[in-house]
This record gives sequence, structure tokens and C-alpha cells, in this order.
Amino acid sequence: MRTSNLLSEIAAVLAKEFTSELRSRVALNAIGLFGLTTLIAVAYQIGPYQIQEADRPHLLSALLWIILFFAATSGLSRVFVKEEDAHTAKTLRLAARPLAVLGGKYLFNLVLLVALFALIVPLYCALMGYGVRGVAGLLLVLLSGALALSATATIVAAIIARASGSTTLFAILSVPLVLPLLVMLIQGTRAAAASSELAAVLPALQGIVSLGGAVIVVSVYLFPAVWHD
Amino acid sequence: MTENRTRALLHWVLGGWVLLVIAAAFFYAPSAAGFKGESARIVFFHVPQAWVAVLAFCVNLVASIRYMRKRNPLDDARAAAAARLGLVFSVLATVTGSIFANVMWNSFWNWDPREVSIVILLLIYAAYFALREAIPDEERRASLSAAYAVLAFVTMPFLVFVVPRIYWSLHPDTIIGAKGNLKLQMDSRMLQTLLGSLVGFTGLFVWLYTLDVRLARVLLARRGREEE
Repeated sequence: MRTSNLLSEIAAVLAKEFTSELRSRVALNAIGLFGLTTLIAVAYQIGPYQIQEADRPHLLSALLWIILFFAATSGLSRVFVKEEDAHTAKTLRLAARPLAVLGGKYLFNLVLLVALFALIVPLYCALMGYGVRGVAGLLLVLLSGALALSATATIVAAIIARASGSTTLFAILSVPLVLPLLVMLIQGTRAAAASSELAAVLPALQGIVSLGGAVIVVSVYLFPAVWHD
Repeated sequence: MTENRTRALLHWVLGGWVLLVIAAAFFYAPSAAGFKGESARIVFFHVPQAWVAVLAFCVNLVASIRYMRKRNPLDDARAAAAARLGLVFSVLATVTGSIFANVMWNSFWNWDPREVSIVILLLIYAAYFALREAIPDEERRASLSAAYAVLAFVTMPFLVFVVPRIYWSLHPDTIIGAKGNLKLQMDSRMLQTLLGSLVGFTGLFVWLYTLDVRLARVLLARRGREEE
């Protein structure tokens, strides 16, 4: 009974997020346009022929994640910042328990990230001539990356929402936390591009999933203190 | 009065110990084979500095957890004191490591995984203070920075243990190998000096940390009196 209540509260928070986002489309526009602009700038200046063949596996996977990460940082903090800006945080505190708020906002950020990946990754592969041998491996890396990145982004967004200059702080606080994750994501993407075997991406996947899992568990414990502070 | 005397005695012991370590690093420990000139002697300072940076991170974590449980402002002061010292020692570890890298490999920076991990530790400390500066309300500042400290600590094992195993490293392997076997191979006089230096730097950290916390305690007590 309690679990079903929690799940329905999470679903309600998620539905609220979608309704308010579809009304303004601020996060969607910020993430999508930032990603597209960066991709066009990179593809225009570097393109498929400017990088030496030997450097392609390293550079193309790193460039992909730089585009994805910085596009994501432009919009993921909004889930909590907008509640403070619109003075709706107090109402939300009364309406839903902390775990439901965290769950709903985490899932919303996850959907945003998956949408960003679905838009940018195929375009990037086409514009940069990035041939991926292990498509299944790449999809697994992207999915696990989205799970882990949205976990870190959601809890950092909750922390910075009540500080002054919160948008700038989001990048400052999240970059050191996300760097080990980015290193493993770049390594996993490179392995997926080079081999069709799923085993090639396993070492990176293990690291990504365990880091993402650890952040989710810690977030569940930290969030009530951050939210009710 | 007795406490003050004990404290003064401990300061003299610590000062003497650190001087002894400095002398041992230059005159007692032999030159290491396979290194340019006397460059290996920087290890006696670089390794303990990196150790203290990580130790400070652990102290910061413990104080942050204590603050989140008990909401005692002194625990917040303890966490901030540890982070301040951690920031200083991680800068020192980065600088001494860069000097050594330049002597050995003609480059101050080689993007070695362990170099990157100490820089990320430095960035975490810097971000921690950026967060503290951005929150004027003291209680909120304490609880949000404590939450960030706990969250940041989760990523550290991945930086220290996972990433260096994915990428090739210029640094020697960890002291304890993957199978639990002791891998440290060092001349006994060098080992004595290194262990002595670790003790000395840990003592230095404890002294500076205690000083900072005592100052915070005095300031908190004074403010309490003013509010009364």
C-alpha cells in the first residue's frame, strides 16, 4: 500500500513536471538548442575529414560527450530552480513526500536526457562520420549514462536551488562530480565504436552503473535533509 | 594550565619531528635508483601531502555527517576547517607532483589518472567553498554544504580506484596489490623517512585543524553571548 502510494506520488510529480515544462518549454528549448548549436559548430569546424584516422576513436567519443554534457547542464538544474523562482517549493513540500519529489524530478531529468541523446547522437554520427560497430553496446552506454548523469544532476540541482547565482553554481558543483563518470562514458563509447562485442563495453558499464547506483542511494538519504532544510 | 603545558610540549615535539623528517629526507635516505638526480626525494613530501589531502576529505565527510545528524554548528566549523586544509594540501601535492614530473619527463602536466584525481579533489574543495559563499543563511549553508560533501565523497573511490585502472598511469601501482599482497619495495631508510614524514604531516594537519576548530569555538561562544 505504501509503495503504491509512493509510486502514485512519483507519477503525480512527474506529470506536474511535464505539464509545467510543456507550458513554458524552457528546459527542452535550452537543452535541445544548446546541443544542436554546439553540434553544428563542431561539425562545421571539424567535420568528418579534419581528424586523423588514428585520432578518430579518442577524439570523436570525447567530443560527443562534451556536447551532450554541456547541453544537459544548460537545462537539468531547472527542475528545482524553477520551484524556488516561482515560489512553489513550499506547496510541493506539503503536497508530496521528499522521496516522491526526488523520484518525479529524477525521472523528468532522465526523460529530458534520453530525448537529448535521441536527438544529438544520430545527428552527430551522421555529421561527423562516426561509424559505430557495436550499436547495442553504445545504446547500453547511453542509457546507463543517462541514468547516472540525471541522478547527479538532480541532487546537485536540489542543493543549489536555494543558493544565490544557482545556475552558475550548478556547473561549478556538478563538473567535479561528473568527471569520473564522463571518463568512463567516453571510454565505453570508444569501446562500442570499435567492437560489436558487448563484452568490450562491460568494464566501462560496470563503473558507470555502480557510480550511478551509488549516487542514487546517497541521494535518497540526503534529499530529505536538503529539501526540508 | 596543565592542558596548556601539554599542548606546548606537543607543539615542540611536532616541530622537532618535522625538522628531523626534513633532515632525514635530504641526508639520511639514500638516492633512489632510476630517477634523475635527487628528484626522488620530493616523494617524502609529495606523498604525505596527497595523504593529508585525502585524510582531510575523510574528516570533512565525518564532520558533515555529524552535522546532518545533530545540527551542531561546531560540526559545520569542523567540516569547513578540514576542507580548508584539504584545499591547501591538495594544491601542495599538485605543485610538488608537477615539479617532479617536469624533472623526470620534461613536462609539468601529463594527464596521468592520479594527477587528474588530485585535481578533481581540488575542484571539489573549490566547489564546496563556492557553495558556502553563495548561501548567506548560516544554517542552510551548513546543511547544504554538508550534503554536497557527502555526495562528493561518493565519487572519490571511483577516481582513486576505478579510473586509474582503466587508463595507464605514470604513477607506481598502489601499495597493496589486487590480490591483497604487499607491493611496496623500498630501501628501509627511505621507507623509515617516508613513514616518518607521513606521521609528521598528519601531526601538522591535526595541529592546524585543532587550531581552526578552537578559533571557531571561540567565535561561536562570543556570538552566543552577544545574542543573549
